[in-house]
Amino acid sequence: MNAPRMVGFVLGGLVAVAALLAPLVLSGSQLTIYVLLGTAAMVTVGVSLLMGYAGQVSLGQAAFYAIGGYTAGLMGVHGLPTVAGLVCAPLVAGLLAALVGIPIMRLRGHYLAFATLAFQLILLSVVGQLEVLGGDIGLQGIPRLGIGSAQLSNTQSYAWLTWAATALVLLIARNVITSRAGRGLRALATSEIAAESSGVPVARYKLAVFALSAAFAGLAGGIYAFFLGYIAPGSFPVLLSFEFVVMAVVGGLGTIWGPVVGAAVITVLVQVLNSLGTEPGMPPYASSVFSYAVYALLLVLTLLFLPRGLLPTATEWVRRALRGREPPAAGDRPAAAVPTGDASGSPAR
Amino acid sequence: MSAFLTYLITGLALGCSFALVASGFVAIHRVTGVVNFAQGTFAVVAGLMAGSLLGRGLPHGLAEILAILLAGAVGLVVGVIAIGKRGTPPLASLVITLGLGILAYAVEIIIWGDQPISFQMVPGSVDIAGAPILRQYLVVIAVALVTFAGLGLFFGRSYLGKALTACASNPYAARLAGINVMRMGLLAFALGGLLGGLAGVLVTPLQPVAFDSDVALATNGFAAAIFGGLNRPGLALVGGLVLGVAEAFVAGYLSGSYQTEVALALMLAIMIWRASRRVSVAEEPA
Repeated sequence: MNAPRMVGFVLGGLVAVAALLAPLVLSGSQLTIYVLLGTAAMVTVGVSLLMGYAGQVSLGQAAFYAIGGYTAGLMGVHGLPTVAGLVCAPLVAGLLAALVGIPIMRLRGHYLAFATLAFQLILLSVVGQLEVLGGDIGLQGIPRLGIGSAQLSNTQSYAWLTWAATALVLLIARNVITSRAGRGLRALATSEIAAESSGVPVARYKLAVFALSAAFAGLAGGIYAFFLGYIAPGSFPVLLSFEFVVMAVVGGLGTIWGPVVGAAVITVLVQVLNSLGTEPGMPPYASSVFSYAVYALLLVLTLLFLPRGLLPTATEWVRRALRGREPPAAGDRPAAAVPTGDASGSPAR
Repeated sequence: MSAFLTYLITGLALGCSFALVASGFVAIHRVTGVVNFAQGTFAVVAGLMAGSLLGRGLPHGLAEILAILLAGAVGLVVGVIAIGKRGTPPLASLVITLGLGILAYAVEIIIWGDQPISFQMVPGSVDIAGAPILRQYLVVIAVALVTFAGLGLFFGRSYLGKALTACASNPYAARLAGINVMRMGLLAFALGGLLGGLAGVLVTPLQPVAFDSDVALATNGFAAAIFGGLNRPGLALVGGLVLGVAEAFVAGYLSGSYQTEVALALMLAIMIWRASRRVSVAEEPA
């Protein structure tokens, strides 16, 4: 293990331990932000896998977040064991993604982006009309997560649950990327034809990573539903899907920790500006204006000036600072922010 | 029968407005290869601007033209940011336009507030074969037809239009022929802005426009544009009309709440159908 990797390893461990201990000192509302940050990070890891490794853009990831939330919520409301709900949330989301993915993963580039967006709009509209799912009013009175009579009742325990789930998601993502399948994914992001001819089952891998990213979103949605106890179609707007993309791009696509950095930076920044926007003397629209501006400016500036994202750029600086003694590690160069492979979508005229 | 005619003409007018948004997508994609997610924003900006100018007492005509010009300027700004930096891949440009669409939310809320705005352009209705039709619908249809005829002439007959098309089909060869590809791209964005603005000005009297109306406008416009593979204005018009009429009939005979699903499902079906027809070798970018 060379020096920069060692630094990364130690830093990652420190962040993990700090995040594990943080719920002990955070206040109630800060814990809520912690949970929301964690769930956003889980979804974003999936988006980053999809965009950075498989070269596919999804603008409808909040749909799978919603599916997870509704699965867990519906099972909870009908008196089924809540743990079963939490387990089913990612499974149902992943399964539905696999089904939907069979036709739509044949699309690429901007066609896929619009198709996923359309999928979310259809889903929201359907959910809003289904009485079983509470229609536009949503599902209320979702019970707390627990086994038998032991319940996770305080916010702190949800923070730890989120920590554990995020760790699980990161571990799975890491193992997928370093496996043979992960190399196949990176290959198909660069050129599907080259990958196909080298024996990578392109269609199957794309579908699998789409389903996996949906499962991550579903797990996050399940936790979200049990944590808040209330979900409605309005909890999962299209803008939420865009936010996940922003977090993934800002943090750095094609890295494991990038999505966590992106989710953390954006969630904290939006919260700070939110409290600034609700100060007395601010116009009533200030906080929504601030959050739109933060998302938009971070996204545009990152894409133009740090196309690889915050984390890879920062790592590069550290690497440069430590270099001189050893050559740079060539093995794990992260991909460019938005893969150029399928960029033009369809030059077929 | 008169209900049928009302739905048909309403649908055609709706379709024409989709087609105008679609023509903006086409103008930009044709030349730059970028799908502009801020296309709905242009329409929203023009609609809001026209509303507030008319509110200040500007006469009809002038207010609308100023609003459309503003949308054109916004289009140019979006273009400069999205493609102005050399070597930005088209998919990155797409995400940038998405970001600019969100940034526009912030600006629009500051200037116009977050409530929907509407205004009257051509009030009243006329009877056509016993069916009452809002005059505004007829205006939308007429303007759309004139615009599409103009676009056809522009791309097919004028030197500038041919230069724009050349950039789309082979940027390298276009550069060799002395065409400034970057300038043409920016021109396309400005044109897309004007077309989007035109759509916005025409639609606002029919359905109030708020800062977040852009998603609905853009998805419908995109759905119409993919009929022609995002490259052919004529097919985008056909796409818009089919979509508009389908939506109007679904809303009229079934239920208004299924309108969006129908449009989106139709769009998905067409995209998947087109994808299955394409020769996969031709897709790999050079």
